[in-house]
Amino acid sequence: MIVVENLTKSYGSKKAVDSLSFSVAPGRVTGFLGPNGSGKSTTMRCMLGLDRPDTGHVLFDGKAYTEFERPLTQVGSLLDAGDAHKGRTARNHLRWIALTHGISVQRVDQVLQMVGMTEAANTRVGKFSLGMRQRLGLAAALLGDPKVVILDEPANGLDPEGIRWTREVMRHLADEGRSVLVSSHQLVELSLVADDLVVIGQGSLISSGPISQFMTQHAKTWVRVVSPSIDALAELVRLAGGTIEKTPEGVDFHGISAAAIGEIAATNNLVLHELSPQTGSLEQAFLDATDASVEYRGESATSTWAAPQQ
Amino acid sequence: MGGTAAMIGIFRSELFKLRTTRATKVVVACSIALPAIIFTLTSMYAFSNGEVGDSLVSMVGNFAPLTGLLLGVVGVLCSTQEYSQGTIRITLVATPNRSKVLIAKLLTTVVVSTVSSVLMLLLCLLPSQLILSSRNIDFVTIDTDVRILFSAVILSVFLSILGLSLGLVFKSSPGAISALLLWPTILEGMVFGLLSVAFDRNMMKFAPVQGNGFRLIAQYTDESNSWLVSLAVFSAFVAVFAVLGAVFFSRRDA
Repeated sequence: MIVVENLTKSYGSKKAVDSLSFSVAPGRVTGFLGPNGSGKSTTMRCMLGLDRPDTGHVLFDGKAYTEFERPLTQVGSLLDAGDAHKGRTARNHLRWIALTHGISVQRVDQVLQMVGMTEAANTRVGKFSLGMRQRLGLAAALLGDPKVVILDEPANGLDPEGIRWTREVMRHLADEGRSVLVSSHQLVELSLVADDLVVIGQGSLISSGPISQFMTQHAKTWVRVVSPSIDALAELVRLAGGTIEKTPEGVDFHGISAAAIGEIAATNNLVLHELSPQTGSLEQAFLDATDASVEYRGESATSTWAAPQQ
Repeated sequence: MGGTAAMIGIFRSELFKLRTTRATKVVVACSIALPAIIFTLTSMYAFSNGEVGDSLVSMVGNFAPLTGLLLGVVGVLCSTQEYSQGTIRITLVATPNRSKVLIAKLLTTVVVSTVSSVLMLLLCLLPSQLILSSRNIDFVTIDTDVRILFSAVILSVFLSILGLSLGLVFKSSPGAISALLLWPTILEGMVFGLLSVAFDRNMMKFAPVQGNGFRLIAQYTDESNSWLVSLAVFSAFVAVFAVLGAVFFSRRDA
């Protein structure tokens, strides 16, 4: 169980994390979301004692990270896949970490096998692709067989098979009763594996709780209708307070429930070929929830990305 | 795992880190082999007959600054490579107690520099003695030979600690290595030379590295500090940077 309480961290006059509180339960995968610069990595660094928070604290089963005698057996972390000496082999990279905790060489080989890197064990890290470095970082995180796993963008640079594998690993770790906190910008992937979400923007908490709760609060819902009498139905729905949007698949009705549309159609003897409630994606819900706290926003490609004039 | 066992584990880890990087291995090898090769070649070609006027040990001692500065570079790499390669985060995640990491790094540099400088002295002295003996060339011994040997090791150890400390302050290899090499070889001479002109007296005896550190292996003259004073001045200079490095390392976010 991870408990983050009232965490605040400033760099100069800029508050990177602002009175942030949330918890991560054991046996669940918790997604940690936020736009670029929202304070996710700073929060993770504060959790692991790498950065010193101005106020607040983070407890792992009631203890601060710095209080653990053998922290790698409690918390495994992958903050940046690039955190490995390019001249060392994968095996030696894990061996120096293992030596700090008296972890055996057999365990090193075991985690290398777990992440599918046995054959690359004696290859220098500098020759690895980003995906292989991610796997090595994950091996380092699992070295101490920890109760809590913290992963920052673990699927970054992985191929589709690797992404699916990472998802399965996270699920497996949570099913074994571990707390898994994972930050990712791959929202589709996260929606497939996360049980809970912690969403932050500009260092502050936007939402924390089960993923279903976040979707209920932030995802758009509408009703898709296909009908030969769509114009008549649209007029009646408009009168009932709904709004209409025509799409290639049919007509989407907003601001009115599927049951209400069904009753209107039945009362007026209108034939329906499809009446289906729709829910927006996690990506759209995330974008809507964090829209006000996006710090770095690109120009719209369609409006300003004109070709340079010769 | 008890406190001592944990400390041994961290120390072994730091030693393993140094052993498994090419740059440190090359520099350590150079710090031992360069003086040994040069001195052996000198023995082979420079001394053909008669008597070698100077003590063999004092001639070998002249290589101590070279070995010391190279081992200083090893000290720099011991800290800066962690920052440049990003492994400092993993180091501190594995050992959140930064004092333990500092002590382990200090122990590692001390052990590596002690072993390397002793090896350098042995590899300089033994082949040369064999060569000179085979040619029936006499070499003088002086009563300060043991002190010179001891000083050569001390100089290397202190310079490696200075390198480690500068690495912790600068966090980057180019900055720390520049400071380590430029200060004693060029800047210190200029600064204390100017001070000598300004105050119309020899200020070089106050220069921490050239005037005291390197003087540990030289013969005492009327204008120089005594061996103990030189040792005190030089160690105080290194201690200042060691404290600075420790403070920066302990307080800085990783």
